[in-house]
Amino acid sequence: MKIGIEIHQRLATKKLFCNCPSALAGDDEKPIVTVQRRLHPVLSELGEIDEASQAEFAKDRSFQYQAFSNNCLVELDEEPPKLINHEALKIALQVAAQLNAKPVDEVHVMRKMVIDGSNTSGFQRTAIVAVNGHLDTQKGTIGIPAIALEEESAGIVSQSEGKAVYRLDRLGIPLIEIATDPDIKDGAHLREVAEKLGMILRATGRVARGLGTIRQDVNVSTDGGARVEIKGAQDLKMLPLLVKVEEQRQLELVKLLYEVRKRNGFPVKNHAVDVTDLFKLTKAALISAGIKKGSSVLAQKLPGHKDLLGKEIQPGRRYGTELSDYAKKAGVKGIIHSDEKLIKYGISPAEEEQLRAAVGAKLNDAFMLVVAPKVQAKKAISFAVERANMDYVPEETRRAKPDGTSSFMRPLPGRARLYPETDAPPSPVTKELLSSVAKTESLDEKKGRLDKMLNKEMSGRMLRSRNLHLFEKLVKQGADPMLAATTLEDTVVSLRREGVEFRDLEKTLTELFAEYRKGSFVKAAIPEVLKGMAKGARAEAVLKVYRLQKITGPQLKRIAEENGYDMKKIMQKHRLQVDPAEVAKLLKKKG
Amino acid sequence: MDIFEDLKKKGISVGDRVRLVCASGEFEGLLMPRPVTADPSVIVVKLDSGYNTGLKPSSVTLVEKAAQRKASPTEKEKPAKGAVAILGCGGTIASKIEYKTGAVYPSITPKELRMAFPDLERWKIHSRQLFSLFSEDMNSGHWRILADAIEEEIKQGSKGVVVMHGTDTMTYTSAAISYMLQGLPVPVVFVGSQRSSDRPSSENEMNLLNSVFAATQDLGEVAVCMHASSNDDFCHLHRGTRVRKMHTSRRDAFHSISSLPIAALDYRTDRFDLLSEHKPRNKGRLSAKKGINGNVALIYVHPNIKPELISRLDSYDGVVLAGTGLGHVPTEALGDKSVKSILKPIKELVSSGIPVVMSSQCISGRLCMRVYRTGRMLIDAGVIGDGADWTPEAAYTKLCWVLGQTKHMKEISSMMMENIAGEISDRSALEGSL
Repeated sequence: MKIGIEIHQRLATKKLFCNCPSALAGDDEKPIVTVQRRLHPVLSELGEIDEASQAEFAKDRSFQYQAFSNNCLVELDEEPPKLINHEALKIALQVAAQLNAKPVDEVHVMRKMVIDGSNTSGFQRTAIVAVNGHLDTQKGTIGIPAIALEEESAGIVSQSEGKAVYRLDRLGIPLIEIATDPDIKDGAHLREVAEKLGMILRATGRVARGLGTIRQDVNVSTDGGARVEIKGAQDLKMLPLLVKVEEQRQLELVKLLYEVRKRNGFPVKNHAVDVTDLFKLTKAALISAGIKKGSSVLAQKLPGHKDLLGKEIQPGRRYGTELSDYAKKAGVKGIIHSDEKLIKYGISPAEEEQLRAAVGAKLNDAFMLVVAPKVQAKKAISFAVERANMDYVPEETRRAKPDGTSSFMRPLPGRARLYPETDAPPSPVTKELLSSVAKTESLDEKKGRLDKMLNKEMSGRMLRSRNLHLFEKLVKQGADPMLAATTLEDTVVSLRREGVEFRDLEKTLTELFAEYRKGSFVKAAIPEVLKGMAKGARAEAVLKVYRLQKITGPQLKRIAEENGYDMKKIMQKHRLQVDPAEVAKLLKKKG
Repeated sequence: MDIFEDLKKKGISVGDRVRLVCASGEFEGLLMPRPVTADPSVIVVKLDSGYNTGLKPSSVTLVEKAAQRKASPTEKEKPAKGAVAILGCGGTIASKIEYKTGAVYPSITPKELRMAFPDLERWKIHSRQLFSLFSEDMNSGHWRILADAIEEEIKQGSKGVVVMHGTDTMTYTSAAISYMLQGLPVPVVFVGSQRSSDRPSSENEMNLLNSVFAATQDLGEVAVCMHASSNDDFCHLHRGTRVRKMHTSRRDAFHSISSLPIAALDYRTDRFDLLSEHKPRNKGRLSAKKGINGNVALIYVHPNIKPELISRLDSYDGVVLAGTGLGHVPTEALGDKSVKSILKPIKELVSSGIPVVMSSQCISGRLCMRVYRTGRMLIDAGVIGDGADWTPEAAYTKLCWVLGQTKHMKEISSMMMENIAGEISDRSALEGSL
């Protein structure tokens, strides 16, 4: 098995080819402009049109783009791009140095043709910044052939037949792309590589944080299988499972294909039979509702496929699901096939018999049904048949699901069609530029430094944490390292779980620790103070309103007296306001 | 060592597969042309991933020569009766990447364009390339060649003429042709695109198809067909003498000035909605008056303008001023000696037989030179144009054309003030006044 990974990390700089901020528009923000566009195929340098893109364009789709107040004419494709963002370039070079990669002498921006409308221009700008790097891991050295800077695509809002709506706030945010060679040994190793790459990126202190700001695409290929790219793994913990499930899928497919071959199940002739009449009086609710709306029911024989469509190739996903995924390209909800319990759809055994007869299915054959408007249903059947005729594991881009399984997205693109971006001249990587690139500590150096500040367990957690940069900022401002670390890693995490939201965590914590240093409240009060601050109040006001000010001096003495110098009693009543060490001191003094 | 000398010696040329040894490692890829503006010690290779990258190699060796590409035979397009003629002048609408400069360069023949836009099949068309020029490189000589070509197409029986043109100076050419070819029996439609044709988002397809559609309509005028908004939904058809490029980069850069567009149109829905008065196809003969004199200057009047700048214009046959406001220049009208008047050199130009024509840098609106003393002084000096609502470009091309017709000052003056192709309107209608 061969495993590789591709990481895309958003940077916290301005956009890659314009001076717009990389901040996303708020959920409640309304677009200020919406434009309607179309894309069409272009002639290559050789005066040819790419057949694959021609087919995609044949769909005659229109795209709607929502622009927000932080967008400019560049994202709307109404103004040529500016020069490549030098801040982003420097960060990429900084990361490249950490990965032992060598900068190219001149950065050439390329256009990667994308035809799904996710870029207003019809292409994504991308440029190689450094080459021939490597990453040392516990299980050996991993090759990093290239480090690139790319534009983020537009975010999809909705999609329907012939039309897609995108929002432009995301378009053009710089992404660092790091791709490894397929040198990764197994799932656990993959996780280590992904974690290390994440740490190296975050160590620059210049990456964006939050959901969706880092994306991992995993490449898996098995012996006898094919290269499959799985997109959208949300969690690093999931990576080993993802690899395991994909390996199983490919192995199961290979076995299954052998069986189909043995039963002479190839080729499947595309011959959809209209069986709508058969269901005139059916009790199958889904089918009768479809027919009422004017849909047709088309059936297709799958020779020698009996029991194979129902064969599980991923947990909970069968071979029939693979065919169904392809059928969905035509915009249908999926297929019904003969290895399913047809009675659960309300299809009676008698109807099943008639169906078998209609498509000419013998004992060993299977069949599938599609309910949709006739043209669409025909298309869906032909896509499913196309998949059924693949007597190999197809090269695919798949989307990861939270349970580790994956579903088909699109065929793996061939070698990307890349054209030079003539609007952005090449940027030389000069000695001056290289000398202005910030140096980052190596991971070992960083670990050594954290070990001195924190206990071993917390040091390890902090090193892997997305909050590392913020932690270091807080410590630099004078916060106690252990307190800052537990607040970031434990307190904030559990508050978030309770539904507390922080608009600007950095600002909140900076204020919190500044106030704490003044001695105005105690450690135990931190969660309560944070809760109050999350609502937008200043720390001082929260302390007053919620009565969280630290009790000390004569006032503490009086409380001790009132409670008979009983530590337990005092703490029970005033836990959020007194410092236990101070109480202990007082009790000791009292004797 | 000069890298390119070395390549030449080894017989390595663009497109060949090469192996490079660099400080950053060894690479194999296709040798790409180097942008002329780039560092001469860097060579550009297309790696197998498809990416181009610039590298400074210590050595280059040939792996494989590129296969020789066969030049495709160029067929001659014959004019066909009843077809729409598409004439290519270059520009972004018909452009390709030029590797030498890394810039977009006009070079696609109209035939290639037909291949690129299958929807052109809706109409009978034929096409030919007149020249491949950036529009900023075009001058009155090219207007003449274009006018000849359009006249020829009309004589051959074309149903309409489309002119593909760069956007920068398209409205100069459209205005010039409006004067040179009067009484048009068919529409002459200029078209361009703001996004180069090498992008999937280029609006060239929609503009071109709409321009061909416009060329089949009942219209006897020169017009410009471009995007009406930032959307890819419909186009506006503007009068050739009334239209101006009002934005450097937007798709909807072209606007009708002090008037409404002729029509809103969309070939996909057969929509051709007239928005203002227009001339239908002329049933009579085409009146070709193609004389043109390009020896005319257009001067943007500005604070601090020196009288010497105007005096030095005496080598021109005519001068157009883009004056301020209602049609003004610094004239010392209030007797303040600190003002540097350019009235005297203007008078001298006029008295030496060089017509001076006024237009306004306000772009929109009418010249009213009788309102202030300055304007009256200019009228007295013989400056032509009071009462006209032409754009500076329409005035400029008109003077070029008038000077191609006559040399008599009196005639020049009266021809300038006579509306030829909608460049002067008799009333400032409220609609489209800005």
